[in-house]
Amino acid sequence: MERRSFLKSFTAAAACVAVLPRMASAADEAKKVAGPNEMSYATALAAITGGKAVVESAKVKVEAPEIAENGAVVPVKVTVDSPMNEKEYVKAIHVLNTKNGNARCANIYLTPANGEAFFGTRIKLGGTQDVVAIAQMSDGTFLSAKQNVKVTIGGCG
Amino acid sequence: MRLLSVSTALVCLALFSGVNAEEKMSMSDADKAMYAEMLENNPADMDVVEGKELFNALTSQAVYGQMLGVKEKDLPSYIAGFPRFVKPAGKVVTLSQTLQMAAALGAKSVPKLESKEMLQMTAYLKSLANDQTTNIDVKANKQMQEMMKLGQEVFEERRGGRGLSCNSCHSPDVIGQRLRMQPLPDLGSKVNASAGTWPAYRMTKSETTLLDKRFQQCMDNALLAKIPLGSREMVALEVYITNKTKGNPSQIPGLKR
Amino acid sequence: MKTLIKIKPKTYAVGDIVKIDFMAMHPMETGMRKDKDTGALIPANYIDEVKFLFNDTVITKMVIWESLSVNPLFTVSFKVPSVGTLKVIAKTNNGQSVESSESITPKG
Ligand code: HEC
Repeated sequence: MERRSFLKSFTAAAACVAVLPRMASAADEAKKVAGPNEMSYATALAAITGGKAVVESAKVKVEAPEIAENGAVVPVKVTVDSPMNEKEYVKAIHVLNTKNGNARCANIYLTPANGEAFFGTRIKLGGTQDVVAIAQMSDGTFLSAKQNVKVTIGGCG
Repeated sequence: MRLLSVSTALVCLALFSGVNAEEKMSMSDADKAMYAEMLENNPADMDVVEGKELFNALTSQAVYGQMLGVKEKDLPSYIAGFPRFVKPAGKVVTLSQTLQMAAALGAKSVPKLESKEMLQMTAYLKSLANDQTTNIDVKANKQMQEMMKLGQEVFEERRGGRGLSCNSCHSPDVIGQRLRMQPLPDLGSKVNASAGTWPAYRMTKSETTLLDKRFQQCMDNALLAKIPLGSREMVALEVYITNKTKGNPSQIPGLKR
Repeated sequence: MKTLIKIKPKTYAVGDIVKIDFMAMHPMETGMRKDKDTGALIPANYIDEVKFLFNDTVITKMVIWESLSVNPLFTVSFKVPSVGTLKVIAKTNNGQSVESSESITPKG
């Protein structure tokens, strides 16, 4: 029994060898090409805040898996604690990544009509990195939160 | 077990992860919940919607049912029993193949099994059986018995240059072992029901995939000779694998890695 | 471009906060991927703007980048003010656009 299953695993592993090099080279090639919207995290952040301070805050909640099953589809949810009335609301939620070629994912401009400051989506992540949410408040301040996402590669099926 | 992980590691480090790596890489319950929630917004839902439009342009449930000798109201449970022997075809066929029959009957151009329209229409048809029980009957007649037998042969036959069969990776004694970090799935699982969850959206491919197409992807990856869609062997394989999750609810579209 | 709007929960009353899910069938090409057969770069083609409107007033405007997944999902909250029409307009970087709508029908 032990031996039988070992033999099976052995051959299964061998079959995957052929798949590996092809995947690796495709990923390397992709890295070399600059995308049309190449922008670093620092530049993207400065463009949003105009250099203003960003305060990490428990009012902002980023939900993303700690371990992503695959980098092509990573669910992300952002919630900001705010009454969302005319006096006090979240003007925008900016979703950024720290390591993709383009650090920008989405800029969501909200209004009090939303009733709740929430944005949900799915993003692509080229590797393990942080997903950062910046909340632009109606009083002009910026709050933030982040979540590290480990991207595993692999799979033979 | 220990012997196993050490020896395989020698073959290729990255393939079977050892126990430590496995612990580190397994998802938390919160992570799993996030992925489970994604089912509510499955991109494949759009294929089902589009499939409905295509189906209604091709035929109607009434005409389709008539062709198969099934009352419209019995269609859902009938659909949950594919692949099955269909009299006007004279053989065991898949759901997709009945759509080809319907097209021929209506003198419409016959959609190819590989086409996107076929995928979408099949997804729609199968969605009519949602929450029905997968009720394939491999003893129903001589034809089904033969296909079940053939399906098992195909599943166990080593047809690759590397001497692999489906069974090498999907036999009960290797389930759960990890191949390049992916646990080998249990095709007969009562929880993560296999056949009843296809067509499914594959996140790694960013597309909706039919069950027989999924078999072909495994054939490609494991370097097994690729069996054509619609061939007797392919339909037999679908019979054999669907029978493993007989009794599970049919719930499509699924969402897979 | 095929799209799908879902309102959750399915039944709601005036004043309730619902979630609006908007999905679009789109490849979200980054401009960095190569064609497997020819080796040529596939041009960038992605949804770059999504607007949610209620009775023709913008409630949420999104600027979108290519790092969103293929067949993207956009979910926002919405506090139901009355009966009306929700409209979602999605536009791509190539100037293609699609408009979808869904009626908002609160109960009670
Ligand atoms: C080299 C090992 C290997 C071989 C050989 C193999 N598979 Fe797989 N198969 C896998 C792995 C690994 C997965 C899971 C991949 C994932 O989760 O992405 C899988 C997944 C599947 C699934 C999807 C299960 C689900 O519902 O999620 C089906 C169906 C399947 N295989 C059928 C087959 C058939 C039929 C054959 C023979 C033609 C076959 N496989 C041969 C490794 C293999």
